This record gives sequence, C-alpha cells and structure tokens, in this order.
Amino acid sequence: MKMDVIIAGVGGQGNIFASIVISQYAMNKKLNVLGAETIGAAQRGGSVVSHIRIAEGPIYSPLISRGQADLLIGMEYVEMLRHLRLLNPQGAYLVNAIKIPTVQNNMGLDEYPEPAEILKAAKKYCPNGHVIEASTLAKKLGNVQMTNVVMLGALAQVLPFFDYEEMKWLVASNSPTRFKEANLKGYEEGYKMVKS
Amino acid sequence: MKEKRYVMGDTAIARGALEAGVRVVAGYPGTPATEIVEECLGHPGVHVEWANNEKVAFEICVGASLCHVRSLPVMKHNGTNYVTDFLMHVNFTGIRGGLVLISADDPGALSSQNEEDTRILVHQYAHLPMFDPSSPQEAKAMIKEAYDLSEKTELVWCLRPVTRVCHARGIIEFDDLPQELPAAHYEPDRKRFIMSAVEVPEFGGLKRPQLRHRWLNEKQEMLQGIMEESSYNWIEKGEGKVGLIGCGMGYTLIKEAEQYIGRKLPLLKLGTLPLPKKKIREFVKGLEKIVIFEETEPFVEGLIKKIFHEEKIEVEVLGRSGFVPSDGELTLQMILETVRKAAPEVKIAQPEVPVPQIHIPIRTRTQCVGCNYRGILNALKQTVRKHKGIVAGDIGCHDAGSFSPMELQSTIYCMGSSVPMASGMVLSGVNRPIFAFIGDSTFYHNGILGLINAANNKINVNVILGENSVTAMTGFQPHPGTGRTLAGEETQPINVPKLAESMGISYRVVNPYDIQQCRQALEAAVKEEGPSLIVSSMPCYLLSTRRGQKVFEPKEVRLNPEICNGCMICINDFGCPAISFDKKQKKVSIDPMTCVGCGLCVDVCKRGAIS
Repeated sequence: MKMDVIIAGVGGQGNIFASIVISQYAMNKKLNVLGAETIGAAQRGGSVVSHIRIAEGPIYSPLISRGQADLLIGMEYVEMLRHLRLLNPQGAYLVNAIKIPTVQNNMGLDEYPEPAEILKAAKKYCPNGHVIEASTLAKKLGNVQMTNVVMLGALAQVLPFFDYEEMKWLVASNSPTRFKEANLKGYEEGYKMVKS
Repeated sequence: MKEKRYVMGDTAIARGALEAGVRVVAGYPGTPATEIVEECLGHPGVHVEWANNEKVAFEICVGASLCHVRSLPVMKHNGTNYVTDFLMHVNFTGIRGGLVLISADDPGALSSQNEEDTRILVHQYAHLPMFDPSSPQEAKAMIKEAYDLSEKTELVWCLRPVTRVCHARGIIEFDDLPQELPAAHYEPDRKRFIMSAVEVPEFGGLKRPQLRHRWLNEKQEMLQGIMEESSYNWIEKGEGKVGLIGCGMGYTLIKEAEQYIGRKLPLLKLGTLPLPKKKIREFVKGLEKIVIFEETEPFVEGLIKKIFHEEKIEVEVLGRSGFVPSDGELTLQMILETVRKAAPEVKIAQPEVPVPQIHIPIRTRTQCVGCNYRGILNALKQTVRKHKGIVAGDIGCHDAGSFSPMELQSTIYCMGSSVPMASGMVLSGVNRPIFAFIGDSTFYHNGILGLINAANNKINVNVILGENSVTAMTGFQPHPGTGRTLAGEETQPINVPKLAESMGISYRVVNPYDIQQCRQALEAAVKEEGPSLIVSSMPCYLLSTRRGQKVFEPKEVRLNPEICNGCMICINDFGCPAISFDKKQKKVSIDPMTCVGCGLCVDVCKRGAIS
C-alpha cells in the first residue's frame, strides 16, 4: 500500500496545514510518512509545493518522482498543471477552481492559460479529476483562508483512504482555538459539496 | 521516554544537538538552515541567539567550547565561506567542549545566490571531519555522535545537510534531554590557543603555527580509524561489474531509483569524510566500473581516484566530473539516465507520462503587496533614470527590484558587497552617480564595514539603507536594529543616524511610503560630494500586520480608466502584484481583493489616474 500526495499552491493558501493533517492521519494509521516542502518564497507569492509520501514499507526520497503521485491537490489551476506530470494517470486529482495569476501575468508580460484548457488537458491525462469551488465556498463561509480545510473535506469525500471522522478530528486538533469552529464548518461543507 | 514526531530535518538536527547537551547555539539566518537555531529555543540552560553574522556565531561557539561547553554554530554554505578565516585557525588549535558546525548546502540554489559544496572547504581545505546525512533521521544520529567524537578527537566536526535533508519531514524519535549539563571551566593553554608566529624552543625554534599544523596532520590517522568503523558507511551486495556509490542524498536517490532498475547493482553508501578506504577497497573487488552520486562537486570522486591511483586499483571511476551533470541538484531522473549509460545491459523501466503541451507561467517572487521597499525602489528608479545612475544591490527582499520588469539593481553578489562594489564603481571614474542598496540585516552582517570604508576614504557613493527592522527574507529573525533578541528580551536597537554622525557622513531619514520625500533626499544625495546615507526607515509591512500594527493608514485606492492611457509606468517602475494590465483594453486595473491600500501607486502614476 502506498499513497503519494502532492499539494501544489501559492504562498498563503495554507498548504502546510493541509500537509500536516494528511501526514498526521497517516502516522495515526501506523504508516510510514516522509515529506518535503519548498517554502523558500512562500511569503512572497512564490509556488509552494508539499510532497507527502505514505507507505507501509520503507520510503527513501522525500520527493515524489514523475508519474508516481496517487493524489494531486491543486490549490489553484496553474500550480495543479505545473505538477501534473508527477501524477500517476491512474491516480486522482482535486483542483480548487481559482485562478491566481503570476506577477508577470498581471503585468501583461506572460499569459495565464485558460482554466477550461487546463481542465481539458488534465481530464485527458487523468480521468479521475474533481473541480472544487473551494475558495468560493470559503469566501461564502466568511474567510478565504479556509480554502485548505474545504479541500480537505472534499478529499475525504473523494478518496476512501481518508476517513471523514478521523480527518475531522485532525483538522480540529491542528486549528488554533479561534479558528477551530470555522475550520470544522469549512471541512464539513467541503465534504458535502462534492457529494451533492 | 521515547516519543515519535513528524518533524522537519532541521528540527531533527536541533533535537539531536539538544539531546547531546548543547549549551550555546548561535547562527545567522539562511535557508535551509534557519529553523535549526529557532528549534533550539525554549530549553532552560541553553543559550540560543542570532549573531549578526556567521563568523561571529562561530567564534562565540568556539569561545564556549574552550570553556568545555558543547556548542552549535549554524549556517548555510555562504556563511561557512565567511567563517573560513577563523576555521583555518581553529583546525590547528582544536577545541575542548564538543563543537559541531552545521554547514547546510543548497544544491540547485533553490534559495541561494550560488551553489557550492562546502565539503571541499571544510574537509579538503581545513582537513576537518564531516558527516553527510542521507535523511533527517540519519542527520539526528550523526550530530549526536559528532559531539562525542568532537571531544574525543579535540576537533571541530561538521554536519553538512543539504536542502532535501533540512526541509524534508519524517518521523523522528525524540530521546530524553540531559537532566544536568556539566559546568563550564577554563584553564589557560597558551601553547595551543595563542595562534601567533612565536618560536617554540622545544622544537628548535619552529613557529607555533607549523607545529599546530603538524598536530592536525597527525590527527588524520585517528579520524581514518573512526570512519573505517563508522555505521554511516555500508555495502549492499548486488549483481554485475558496475557498482554505484551514493553519498548522503545521493544514496537516498539511488534507493528510490532501485524500484525502476532491473536488478540490484552493488551499492556503497558513504556518509563520512575522511572516506573509509578499506570499505571502498572491499566494495570494488571484482568491479570494473563505479559511478558516484554526490551533491554537488565531484569531490568524493576525486578522493577515490586518488586512492585508486595510490593503490594501483584499476577500476573506472565515473561521477559528477561530467558523466553525471556537474551542476545542479541530483534527481531521480539523473540517476536512471546515468545507470542506463553506465550499464546498458540493465533494464530500466520507468513509466512514461504524457505531458500536456500548455504553456505554464513561471511564478517569480516579488515584494509583498504593501511592502515599503516598493516606495524607495520606485523613487530610486526615477532618480537613476534621470541621472543615468548605477545601483549595486545586496541580499534581501529588495533584491526583487532587480528582476523584470523593474530591473533596477545592476549587481547582486553576497552579503554586504553592495557598498564596496559601488565604491569601486565610483573610483573607476565612470562618472555616473553610484548607489548601493542594502537591507538592515545585511548592513549589520558586514555591510557596515563598506560604509565605514567609504566614509574613511571619502568615496562619493550614495548608500540607501532599507531599514525594515527585521531579517524579513528568511522569516522575520531579529537583528541588532530590531530591539529584541531571539529569546524575546528587549535590547537597544542600533541608532543608524548616530552611527552616520560618528562616521562623519551626511544622512537623511525618509519614510518609504512618501515617494516625494524619498525623491528629494535622493536628489540631494546625488548633488552632494562625498559619501551619503539615506535611511529608508519603516518596519516590515507583513510582520507589522501580523502583529496588528499599522505602518500606514489604509486608503481606498481607485483607478480612473478614463485617465489611464496604458503607459505601464505603474507596472514597469513599481510592479505591485495588485495592479494588472489588460492587453486588449490597454489599461491597468487594481484588484481590490489584493490591494492593501498603501497608496504608493497614487504617487507613481504620472497622469493622476490613481487616486
């Protein structure tokens, strides 16, 4: 059994929180976990990628190689696209339906591809894909910062490996007290959203 | 009680040092090593500090060590370069309390201004022993053992974790921390600790440094013996005449690659310097060819070639001198391609994946929305354009001013080099106004020396100090201008105007959120002969916001599309991520979700389209 997970997003989207919840979930199942983060420019609008490797047996490299990821969580379209080559076409992906242009895009010096084009290519690459309106829901619930917990809720719905109740407990225990209630709400709504 | 935790490699390293009874920890922030220092905080009896540079940190640690206390100097490779002068003395004297230098390397320059291999500096140049960890777990075991070995051999030991060890996360076993730490004491030993060209009568008047050099050379045999027995080097049996050697992360990647390689190739895992010669000899028996995977230089490769030459071993040695790419970070792909070349008969089965052919925009970092650097950089851009000036840059968040589209700073090298380089440009006679832009943490690191020199030699350089009161780039570490220590104790922040006064140079303090004021100060500085200093002073916006402090009164910023003519000055000379350009409309717009209302762009727009 193995579960290699990539969480790809932009600084400030809460990747690290999501990666910690997933890693702890695996640890509680007595599985091996190894991970890596690129957090160098996280605070300045750079890409942030977490690799989480979960397996029964030994794990060597903290980085997931080409075509090996079982799950790709894209917190934004282009970051999902950037890491698509790491995904096993038999795996699954979740993508937050939001566009975060790069500085160069904003300046008109570079093009941000059309989301529809990205989704078409992703679907062709890996049929098991889910587009989640996570930021929209998070904003509706009062805070766009909750995008990550909405995505975790959706994840629990999409992949049976992740147990809803256990993940919920980890979302709660990892949340600062003042955000706990809101985060749980976001998680629950994310779970329901995919179902309906 | 043993507890298992899922933590970063840096945390594992810090924990290892704490379990070994470290008492003094000092470093200077630098990715990927920064967290090692921070993770040592909060243990009674353990002093943890940010020093103003790595050399100071290292010297502090050696001072503690001479009082029989275990200490931990922490830095990235650039810092180790800076420490070299001291390192080339302490290798001759040796130390007392265990001292393990952390010299973190960043292959691929993921967060660095250069990529390099400090094994050459520490081992080849300073002849000191090193451990090269292959994982966070191994790094923790290595550092604990290195403290004992450091005391046993009386030498500085070095742990060299690469980024993929520092910033990997794994399940780490936490052991108990020592209950009591041994008390410090000091006995003079001038024959050892006075590194001076003094004659030693017992050796016919030979100079002391030569004798200390001899002492270090004589240690090598002992180190060789330790490494022969080390549990960080081992052989894994395999089939065929081609063997692989993996050093540190190189080993980890070979293990990852094994699932794709048709058969198990003989494998030697190396984690120590000096190398275990006997183990290497044993490994290569019956082999025709070996391929070495190491980060980053062909260093072990050279050492093995030397051993083979001396011992007349006829095995072909391949590695990063060209057979494996000689630059960048090792990757799984590199290993597979190299094995395919070295042993064409071995089957390699890696799944091919189709890659969608869509353009993927690159995400270049920039200053945060609301960052005060953008104000002073814009003012400087205008000044430089008007006077055909040149800007020498330095390390820090402001370096993004050198990227497209701003392209302001013309040079960026290492910590503190902006002011002396700008001085040299002045002295060249190029006859254009010359500026140096430096942040405050870098200024206290060693940039201040360049300013003292410019003052003393009356060099007509215009220095701009971006004073945001924190080391922002690496995650808000305090420095001598912050007013508090790492442990949270209040201190006296350095008063830069007083410093300038004492140097006899003119200075102007400006608010970077006031571009007009910055422009005026820059104009005055250009007109003035001799060195000048502009202190662009305002706390880091991001940190202040997190603490609930305001650095400006937020305004509602609007753009009038009737007035905007799409000149793009707000993009090319300012580059705020909240401003975007619509190619079809040929007009800019401001994203209200991203804008924080600093209002700087109001001054930037020459047509008055932003209000």
